[in-house]
Amino acid sequence: MTDGRAFGPETQRYLDGEPSTAPAAGDRASADRLVGLVRSYAESLTPVDPALDEAVMAAVRRRGAVPQGRAGAWHWLVTSHRVAVRPVWVAALAAAAALVVWLVPRAPVGRGGERPLALAPAAGPDTVFVRFELVAPEARTVAVAGSFTGWRTDALPMVRGANGLWSVTVPLPIGEHRYEFVVDQTRWVPDPTAHAQVDDGFGGRNSVIVVGPKGLVRS
Amino acid sequence: MRRLVVAALLAAPAALAAQASIEGRLIARGLPADLVQQVQRIATEAAARGVPSAPLADKAIEGWAKHVPPARIVSGVQLFAGRMADAGAAVRSGGLSNPPGNVIVAAAEAMGGGLAADEVRSVVRAAGSAEEAAPGLSVAASLTAQGLASKQAVSIVVDAMQRRRPMSQLLDLPSVARSMHDQGMSAGEIGSQLLPHHGDEGATGRHGDRDRPNNVPPGPDPAGAVRP
Repeated sequence: MTDGRAFGPETQRYLDGEPSTAPAAGDRASADRLVGLVRSYAESLTPVDPALDEAVMAAVRRRGAVPQGRAGAWHWLVTSHRVAVRPVWVAALAAAAALVVWLVPRAPVGRGGERPLALAPAAGPDTVFVRFELVAPEARTVAVAGSFTGWRTDALPMVRGANGLWSVTVPLPIGEHRYEFVVDQTRWVPDPTAHAQVDDGFGGRNSVIVVGPKGLVRS
Repeated sequence: MRRLVVAALLAAPAALAAQASIEGRLIARGLPADLVQQVQRIATEAAARGVPSAPLADKAIEGWAKHVPPARIVSGVQLFAGRMADAGAAVRSGGLSNPPGNVIVAAAEAMGGGLAADEVRSVVRAAGSAEEAAPGLSVAASLTAQGLASKQAVSIVVDAMQRRRPMSQLLDLPSVARSMHDQGMSAGEIGSQLLPHHGDEGATGRHGDRDRPNNVPPGPDPAGAVRP
């Protein structure tokens, strides 16, 4: 082989380590020289870390088990991980959240120009429709405002009907509610047909309505 | 110990967030900064006495929406805070050691409407739970505001609770009383009709919408309509 010839079968069996083989003397010398070269090359290599095998196999197992792409990310999200957090970070994050709550609604709004509020109380299993009515033929606008609108005057505008009768039907949660009518956006008028009129704490009167689960209520 | 530390770390920002939330609400509704500060001061002092802060913010917002001058808003909020403190004491002595805010508010409104502390206590005792105490107090206050004597109104509510009447019947009492009033009955007559010795008929009332399903808009049905 070293001189360009291939080894014969006997020499190949000799190289394979079969004890009963007897290659020709020249071939045997060439084979022994070749074996010596291979051994010296092998001895020159850096020894492999014995833990490498286990590390490689563990990586193979992980790659085989975890889907890649979106599925991989989802798997990462739903798999438990051991995370170490210093308690001071918990407090810092909670304080940051409180700061966000404090900062978000800080945009001031003028006294007269409250933000339009499209939310009337939503109808649900614990709500009853209540019809508010006020006769005000001279009024240009009438709205109902109360505890159920956060006292916003633009949340529940009433509709003018025949003979100056203004009305709106609103789903209200069961329980007690306080309110007044707002005429022409400036004048607060109690409901003369409410269940009760009570002191509002500012020298005026609030109308009170108690909404029961079954009672159909009309103002 | 570690849990206590974590709880303390989390509770402090929560309290801060509650205060910040009140301030944010007031500013969002356009209240000026000095008025916000005064309301916050009242709310902080009230919170130290176990009074909920949010109703005080609601009261300030109500005053601002009604164009009440800031000085009167402050005094109104202060008055309401004091009333809630008294109401909270009455509710606690009635057996609710840690009453939720809505019960304290209902008791405060009831006391503002003429109920005495011992009458609030009676309603809370009869209710036995926060879920029933708040509507019971509201109904008693509403009946009182309709002209019934507070003692009579409280008796009606306490009796309804002790007889374990459904909450729907209890909450209907102000409508029933209003209906009787519209029929020309005096407050005394209404109270007599609703008093316990009249039994079931008194508590259920006489208006005609009992069978109407819930969440049905009124429509043109004057016979079935109940005036608040």
